[in-house]
Amino acid sequence: MPGIDECLLEAMTLPGARGAALVDWSSGLALGTVGESPVGDHETTAAETAELARAAAEYESFAPAAPETGTPDPAGPPLEDLIVTTRTGYHVLRFVETSFDSSVFLHLWLDRADGNLALARHRLRALAEGLVLR
Amino acid sequence: MTPSTLPGISVEVSPLLTRLAAERATGALLRDRGTLFLEDGRIVHAESPATPGLDVLLTTGGGLAPERWREAVDRAGARRQVARFLVDSGGLAGGELEICHLAAIFDAAFFALSPGSGPSRFRRGATHWIGSMRSVPAAAVERETRRRRELLDAVWPYPLLDTAPVVPRAAAPGQTVTARQRLLLAQADGIRTPADLAWVLGRPAFHTLLDVRRLAAAGLVDTPHAPAPAPVEAPLPDWMTQAQPPDVALLRRLRDALEASL
Repeated sequence: MPGIDECLLEAMTLPGARGAALVDWSSGLALGTVGESPVGDHETTAAETAELARAAAEYESFAPAAPETGTPDPAGPPLEDLIVTTRTGYHVLRFVETSFDSSVFLHLWLDRADGNLALARHRLRALAEGLVLR
Repeated sequence: MTPSTLPGISVEVSPLLTRLAAERATGALLRDRGTLFLEDGRIVHAESPATPGLDVLLTTGGGLAPERWREAVDRAGARRQVARFLVDSGGLAGGELEICHLAAIFDAAFFALSPGSGPSRFRRGATHWIGSMRSVPAAAVERETRRRRELLDAVWPYPLLDTAPVVPRAAAPGQTVTARQRLLLAQADGIRTPADLAWVLGRPAFHTLLDVRRLAAAGLVDTPHAPAPAPVEAPLPDWMTQAQPPDVALLRRLRDALEASL
């Protein structure tokens, strides 16, 4: 029954992992953080990544409106992940789908030299699912 | 964006909370708009009449059946282990409960620590029946509460929106309304306030305040106007109001001059 800390610590075992956080993209609150932040302050990074995630989650091109089928929209956005590559690193944002109305994602920051983007994306998906596994 | 680097806004949200955290106190900090529960100086739970509780957040979307919540409260409430019971009985994933619980703590704390929340009392030793889950440092909760106040005003500085009924406006041609916004607007009937909407949607109250401010900034919700402040009756200075005695000598000279010229 993994909790937030176990999930983040496991993300940090990925090669090249420098920092990880669980962030609420609606408010910009960091629910949990481990490792480093690219700007030296996890709260600032959470607020900034949240703005990026919110834009992706809300723009229609990425999250098209569900057809009017009469069934209520599922709680989470249809997004899976958001990847930003920089000269020195990779950022993978993985949206977490919960059974109640929430707006959270996992953020993993990887070193460019040691990080493996495909592996990280794969693991983050499993971790996001593990968070809500009963 | 970085409150910690800006000088002048590091005012304490609640001096009593800071003191209780420093002395690693355990108990309940009661204020007009909410209660914070501390354990060894860290915040382990919070609730406020202004915010939907964990039960509402968890059951509204259908993720947890209300009966399962009631069962957990009935069977584990007296032992103060409701959270553990919910997870152990398979009602909820541990991670999910932590996510929801943290959201509820910061949400209730935002209102409990709002300015003008009245005097604080501390009931030493009091604990909450939800039981132990994650705890957060009091300083982090204070910092986040401050950040949230600034965020609301940065988005759209009209505090009246927080308490007024939410009145939707038609979208401009071509304007996109996102799925989450549509869910909120569909429930906004011109009578419900943001707090009412939080309960209906099963979302934290602060999130609803923020969404309503964003909607108002986008022109999708009416921004209520404050009634014009009553004109202040500024007393006019004496030299203006008090009639001065006429200058009789001047009037006489004028009269004499007029008569002489006729």
